[in-house]
Amino acid sequence: MSNVILDVQKLEVTFKTPAGVVHAVNGISFDLREGETLGIVGKSGFGKSVTMMSLLKLIPSPPGKVRDGKALYFGEDLITMSNVQIRHVRGSQISMIFEDPMTSLYPVLTVGLQLEEPLILHLGMTLNRARERAAELLSMVGIPNAKDRLNDYPHQFSGGMRQRAMIAMALSCSPQVVIADEPTTALDVTIQAQIMDLVRHLRDELGMAIIWITHDLGVVAGLGQRVLVMYGGFIIEEAPVKELFANPLHPYTLGLLGSLPRVDAKSHHRLVSIDGLPPVLYEKPNHYPFAPRCKYAIERCWQDNPPLMTLGPQHKAACWVDAKTGKAYQHG
Amino acid sequence: MAEENVLLRVENLVKHFPIQQGIIVQKQIGAVHAVDGISFDIYEGETLGLVGESGCGKSTTGRTILQLFRPTSGSVRFDGVDLIHLRGRELRLRRRKMQMIFQDPYASLNPRMTVGEIVGEPLLIHNVARGSEIEDRVANLLEMVGLNPYFANRYPHEFSGGQRQRIGVARALALQPSFIVCDEPISALDVSIQAQVVNLLEDLQKEFDLTYLFIAHDLSMVRHISNRIAVMYLGIIVEPADRDELYLEPLHPYTQALLSAVPIPDPVADATRERIILTGDVPSPVNPPSGCRFRTRCPISETICAEQQPDFREVKAGHFVACHFAERYLQKSLANYMERR
Repeated sequence: MSNVILDVQKLEVTFKTPAGVVHAVNGISFDLREGETLGIVGKSGFGKSVTMMSLLKLIPSPPGKVRDGKALYFGEDLITMSNVQIRHVRGSQISMIFEDPMTSLYPVLTVGLQLEEPLILHLGMTLNRARERAAELLSMVGIPNAKDRLNDYPHQFSGGMRQRAMIAMALSCSPQVVIADEPTTALDVTIQAQIMDLVRHLRDELGMAIIWITHDLGVVAGLGQRVLVMYGGFIIEEAPVKELFANPLHPYTLGLLGSLPRVDAKSHHRLVSIDGLPPVLYEKPNHYPFAPRCKYAIERCWQDNPPLMTLGPQHKAACWVDAKTGKAYQHG
Repeated sequence: MAEENVLLRVENLVKHFPIQQGIIVQKQIGAVHAVDGISFDIYEGETLGLVGESGCGKSTTGRTILQLFRPTSGSVRFDGVDLIHLRGRELRLRRRKMQMIFQDPYASLNPRMTVGEIVGEPLLIHNVARGSEIEDRVANLLEMVGLNPYFANRYPHEFSGGQRQRIGVARALALQPSFIVCDEPISALDVSIQAQVVNLLEDLQKEFDLTYLFIAHDLSMVRHISNRIAVMYLGIIVEPADRDELYLEPLHPYTQALLSAVPIPDPVADATRERIILTGDVPSPVNPPSGCRFRTRCPISETICAEQQPDFREVKAGHFVACHFAERYLQKSLANYMERR
């Protein structure tokens, strides 16, 4: 197994709001290995983005607060770093691609200037050298006439091209880790396919590790190597991508897979719907957050929040019940 | 299906939005060709899925059918009556039978009205019920869509997205319509909630013999819910066909590319299938390309594509397509065809 480059331990993030304290991330642990693509799946509002933003200290504080936990990047804790220190990591070591390419580019600066900035700041390039490199980066992500397009403003780019420019920006300083936060959600399917193809290509070429946040299980199937499923601020299942789809263990993952119609479906079947509503995160749950919606829930689920348990080779799930048989596990 | 079952017939429907310039004296300098001459039938009791990328004119089509936008030209026959010349009372009378469910459940419900007022308003406007009768009907409707009738006194902000969409469905059902345009009714909802709403729509269709025009960009959901599917690109319909026919044997290169671009939630199937990745973006509908609209992104375009607009023709029973080369690769996949060339 290759080296662990990012090791997150018991991360806990809360937000203080007028309505109460929101427990967005409730003590999650995971690691990222060199060169791997880690998919994080879950519905919006379940702490996927907050987790990643807190690693880079991008959470506005207050109201946000990292209550507990460590995030060791090559042995150094990102959480306790000073603002000056983290600035050297952000963009150069760990970079981020945001969901909405329409709002994450600065509208009054040219794309060229925005691309050159990290090169000058992090790599100490001269203006001319940075300009050359920016043109190279743009053509690497498949934008034709890259040199001329550097003088364009973001509004002159289409959605797909903006996302390509964002990717170029994220890769400009050859980072070890790229965090992609729903990078294709705002795009049409044919453009999404273009972007996914591009990322696959760049990954093979440059060998960086990718954390790909999405709510679309289809996207993870096509791109991820290992998947984390999140629910209500907890990680509830972790497995290699093939294993997760072939053999989902957590009832929520099962329900999620059943609720998706497939474009290659052979026959018409009724969709499995997960009854009830997602949890409100205002109080720290003392029981298992999925219990109210789970059809397998047993007494223990209401008293005791299951930890992430190893249930197979590289396969972990947080559930007291074997969803296949509906019986409680004997261990744990 | 037999001819007499046609509920809605759309012929050569065109909707252009003018682009104007000037502050005091406005003059038209161009037009957005949102819908540019489309024809299709919807049969009684079926669901026709309309798919395409954003900006291709799907929603405009839906709204133009209901006369929420007045078409530039063409005809929309509903139950044998052409709607485009109807005005006022007569149009309102027809509208009872055709309703709409909107995309965004956060924007399509008036935040200052209670749920009871929202669902009851159509009854009031069309004068089909009054007083306590309305309350009874509203309670009934709410129950029908799986909401507690006691919710009638609450306001939309107290509900989640899925529940709000149910309110929208109840409102659409209030006048007992026979035809409902569902304009991306689930794309604003969370995946686990989407299935709930889709199941509800299917149940209601069975119970009340509803006919749906289901507009969406999610091809897998459209495949799930529709009987027939029409694929739209830049203001025109490029390929309408039966559901399975379209997915198993897509003939238009755009349909094939679109299908191959949809992620499949199964890493094994996803890794083995053919992928056709289109280059470039959708051209602007202000200046659509000459000839075939898809030619700028088409992997197999030839000179004829720029010169002539392809005929919209029936290649197989019930399977129409607008591509010059549809017959040539009728039996082969596009990838094969590209290889042979």
